[in-house]
Order: sequence, then C-alpha cells, then structure tokens
Amino acid sequence: MRHSGATRSGSNLVLTGPTGARPGAVGFLTDTTLCIGCKACEVACKAWNGLPADDFGLTGFSYDNTKDLGAATWRHVAFIERFDGGDGRRPTDLQPFQSDWLMLSDVCKHCVEAGCLQACPTGAIVRTEFDTVVIQQDVCNGCGYCLPACPFGVPALSATDHKAHKCTLCYDRLKDGLEPACAKSCPTDSIQFGLVGELLARARGRVETLQGRGVAGAYIYGDRTVGGGGGIEGLNAFFILTAPPEVYNLPARPELPQRKTMPSYLTTIGTAVALGVAAFFSLRERGGA
Amino acid sequence: MGVGREERVGGAEDSSRPTPGAPRPAYERRWEARRDGGEGGGQSAGDEARDSYYGLPAIHRPQWNWLIVLYFFLGGIAGASYAIAGIARLFDDAESRRIARAGRYLALATLIPSPVLLILDLGRPERFHHMLRVVKIRSPLSVGTWVLTLFGGVCALTALGQAAEDGLLGRDTALARLGRAVPERGLNLLGLAPAFALSGYTGTLLAATAVPLWTKRALLMGPLFLASSMSNATAAIALILALTPGSGEAGRRRLERLETVATVAELALLLAVRGGLGETIARPLVTGRLGRVYRLGVLGIGLGAPLALRAGSIVRSRAPSRAATTLTSALILTGGLLFRYAILYAGRASADDPQATFALARADERRRT
Repeated sequence: MRHSGATRSGSNLVLTGPTGARPGAVGFLTDTTLCIGCKACEVACKAWNGLPADDFGLTGFSYDNTKDLGAATWRHVAFIERFDGGDGRRPTDLQPFQSDWLMLSDVCKHCVEAGCLQACPTGAIVRTEFDTVVIQQDVCNGCGYCLPACPFGVPALSATDHKAHKCTLCYDRLKDGLEPACAKSCPTDSIQFGLVGELLARARGRVETLQGRGVAGAYIYGDRTVGGGGGIEGLNAFFILTAPPEVYNLPARPELPQRKTMPSYLTTIGTAVALGVAAFFSLRERGGA
Repeated sequence: MGVGREERVGGAEDSSRPTPGAPRPAYERRWEARRDGGEGGGQSAGDEARDSYYGLPAIHRPQWNWLIVLYFFLGGIAGASYAIAGIARLFDDAESRRIARAGRYLALATLIPSPVLLILDLGRPERFHHMLRVVKIRSPLSVGTWVLTLFGGVCALTALGQAAEDGLLGRDTALARLGRAVPERGLNLLGLAPAFALSGYTGTLLAATAVPLWTKRALLMGPLFLASSMSNATAAIALILALTPGSGEAGRRRLERLETVATVAELALLLAVRGGLGETIARPLVTGRLGRVYRLGVLGIGLGAPLALRAGSIVRSRAPSRAATTLTSALILTGGLLFRYAILYAGRASADDPQATFALARADERRRT
C-alpha cells in the first residue's frame, strides 16, 4: 500500500502553504510515535466534558475496547498490532523504533473547510474564534446530516439526547486560557496543543528527526498533501504517522463532500430542462393521433 | 480476508441498525461483527488489522431509515406530478386538463405527508424550525428545506385554484373566491422550478456526503432521482386516470410516451451510476438481500418489466388498455419505492465498509494525478 506521504523525505516537504488555517488558529499535533496507549486522554476528556461511560465490553481488538469516536467518546486510542507476512507470526527483526505496535489517539480534525459545518442545515455547527469547529447543543435538532458529511467519521448522534456530538477542542477551557483536557493529561506529550502554524513547524522538525533516526515512513497526516487535501485545506488537528493512513482507519485522500454540491446541482438542473422539454413534446396533442 | 468481509457487509443490512430509541449495547454489535466475520473465515484480529483497522467502519453511517425512503418516494412524486400538471396545462384540450387536474391533486396529496416524515426522522422533532433559521446553498439539506417550504405554498395555492375551478369548494364561499383569485397561469410556470428542484435535490443530498456508494458518481445522482421521480409521477397520474371514469385513450397514450422517456432515462442513469461504482463500492448492491432487491425489484419489476410491456404494445401498435396502464403503473411505482430503499440502505452498508471508503479515496487519487 504505497502512498506519497510515507515515502516522502523530510527535505522535500512543501513549506509554502501546507494548510489553509488562519494565523490565530489553534489545534492539536498528535504525534503517534510518542503514544504509549495509556488512554489518559480518553479519561481526561470524559471527566472534563462530563461524558457518560461507553458500554463495558471486550472487543478482542488488541487493547482497543473503545473502537470508534462517538457521541460520548471524543478521544479514541487505536491499537494496531502489526504482524509480518501472511503467517500471522510476529517478526523477529523489528524496525529500530518502538515495536510493531502502533497507537494513535484519534480526535475530531477541526478541518479548515469542514464537511459537517457546511452540511449542517440549522447552523448549529459553527467555527469559533479559535478556528475550531463546535456543535451548539441548543441549536442542533438531530437531523444527522453531519454524520455522512464527515470524511473521517467524527460526529455521532447520541442515543440519550438524540443530538449530534463531537470534540469541542475544550471550548470552555480555551475561553479560560487553559489547554484542552486531553493535551493537559498526556504524559508523553504525544498530544500537543498550540497554534497550528507553530505545531506544523514542530511536526516538520519531528518528522526530520524521526527520519534521521531511521523511521523512514514518518510523515504528517493533515496538511494539504496528505489527509487535508481535496478541498479540506488542512486539518487543525493533525498527526504524525509512520504507516499508511488506512492502517489507522484514516482515509488517504479524503475529499470535502460539498465540493460536489454545485456541480451536481448543475447536472440536476440540466436534466430538469431536458425532462421538461420531453414532457412538453410527449403531452402535446399530436395531429392525427 | 474477502470471505469474512463480504459476509459482514452482506450481514450489515440484515442486522438492522437499532433505532435511536432502542439502542443495542455497542459491545454486542462488536461481538456479532467478530462472530459473523469469523465464521468460515477463521481470521484472527491480526488478519483483520492488516489492510484496515479490524474491518471497522472508517466513516459514520447515516442514520436515516424507512421514513426517509418513504419521503424520497412521496416528495419525488409531489414535485414531478406538479411539473407534469404544469406542462400539461400549457395545452388547452380536455385530456390535458384532466392530466393537469390529477397531477395537481396528486402533488398536494403526496406533499402533505412529506414534512411530517422528515420531522419524525429528526432526533429532536420539536426543533424542526431550526432548519428555517439559515439558508446554506452548499448544503443540499438546507436547500431542500427551503424548496419544500416554497413548494408547499405554491402547491397548496394551485390545488386551491384547481378545487375552485372544479367546484369542490362551493359556489360562493370565501375559499372558492380565494381559489378563483389564484393567478393560475403565472403560478403554474413559477411553480415549475421548485417542483423540479424538489424531485431532484434528494439525489444531490446523497451525493454531497462521504458515503462511497452515494458520492462516487455524484454528478449523476440528482439526474437519477429526477428521472425516477418523473417516471413515478407519470405512472401515478396514469394510474389515477385509468381508475377514474371519463378519461380517454388519448391522455393515456400521451402519458405513456412520457413514461417511456422517463423510464429509459432512469434506466440509463442507474446503469451509468452502477457501472461507475467499481467492485468494492458496489458490493452492497450485488450481495445479500439488497442485491436481490436491486436486481429483481429495481431493475426487474421497476424498469425491465414496464419497458418490456411498453415494447410489446409498440410492436402490436395497439393503444394501451386501462388494464395494461394499471399494471405498468403499479410496476413502476413499486420499483420506484424499492429503488429508494435499495440506494439508501446500500449507502448505509457501503459506509460501514472501510474498504469502500478507502477505495473511494484511492480512486480520487488516481483521478487527480
């Protein structure tokens, strides 16, 4: 599974305009090479935002019993146990890095051009003064159109209040000058909070360091090149990954769904004209009929 | 890998999604997914993890259900039958007036349940009016809300005018006076735009999402729903005329002409959409119950059989009998409902398949380079 991000060398990174984020935008850098899978972010998120527990159950998917982002789960730590070859046995020669066990703390990407925001018919989903994307709970009427409108599968309808929920990037904490709960609680600084521009510069440095240490596959997911293209113009919450995006359940080339709205309006209007003309000639009284 | 995932995708539609009212615990679903995927396949978590994340969905599936299927069906008929009535009204013979009258009443009758279905589908129905606080051109759902609102007024006024003309409102009541005051011709032409928009926007609504099966052929979805709405509405009007006394053969023949055009267009568009999906994304329309509904119900009952009947009557160059019209109309309407069911639920199944999501992204990559 080849993709451009993994094979890109650090010096070839596009330094001009990797994201469409405004200068003051804040976001997350989630560096998966530092994640130890402690799930402190999941717990801190639930504690701060007063989110109910998930169902208790074992999935059998490594240590991941959370499975997915949801209405009451705004951070989700994925555990990817990688086996070499087709025989299911662990490799005996590992990369000079961690192990073949990848962990990623997934979160809402707070897209620069957000599909959920553009789809929302009530105006409940807004862009805040911090350039984050937030669902106003007093406006949302639970139509559910933001669910399929998100290329990353982030918003979800709650079975309790039937409204859509997702990460707010701790809007209330930002208002008080605090960093989001997950970033605050992360013991390894795998989750870093800050200005998107600064985080991107830091991420580029980190990718170069990693590649210098032999992790050739390290790359940024969430700039315009990988993960933030297709009209999304970059992710304010982006990641450093070391394997193809699909391994982390992330699409390699997501696209802003609303890019297709205007063109499909036009084809529909064209068809309406054609069918209208067809109806005119079909329904007209024909001489001798 | 293939066997297990196919079973899971096929099974996704069978283990119907719990409604928001009665959710099943998520871990039960996880266990079912593991168990169903494991049967016969004998995969380990490692196998599943190799080219996706344990086969778990990469995007969230839409929660829409049969309420929306029914709305797509009725709303489509409402818009298209208004449009047909409006076009028929441009001609001034008795048959055209009969078609226009049936179309206008049908439009009102199918329009009335539409907002009810949409409001019932909301997570918070009491907040439906929040849809009316913004206009967002880029959101087909917002556009559709406003189109439905606008069309509702136009459709009601036109039906009122028609009822006054038909003497259904009495001779000198306030309603009858209001109905006679409706500027019929102007409204007729003005109403064509929201009427066509209502019957076609549903396709763009599905196209402007991340659901692979809906968005892969985004440009054809609006035209497909529009053509299908036209054939359904024509069939419904023909059915009404066939079942009411007094209508002549000429009207039936005209409606059949339109029906044939719309049905052929629908078939061509449907095959174009289906053909462009690719193997992975089209899987829900091939396997399992949905595959059977698509092949037998949509292609067979809804499109193939009516077109075959029509071809038969052309070959024998005989005018359609009342019975033949009734049968064709019933087939087309059944197919129209099944088409919306198949597309909606196949979209849900394709959203659940991470390989479909990744295939969409990879196809996009190829297209752009």
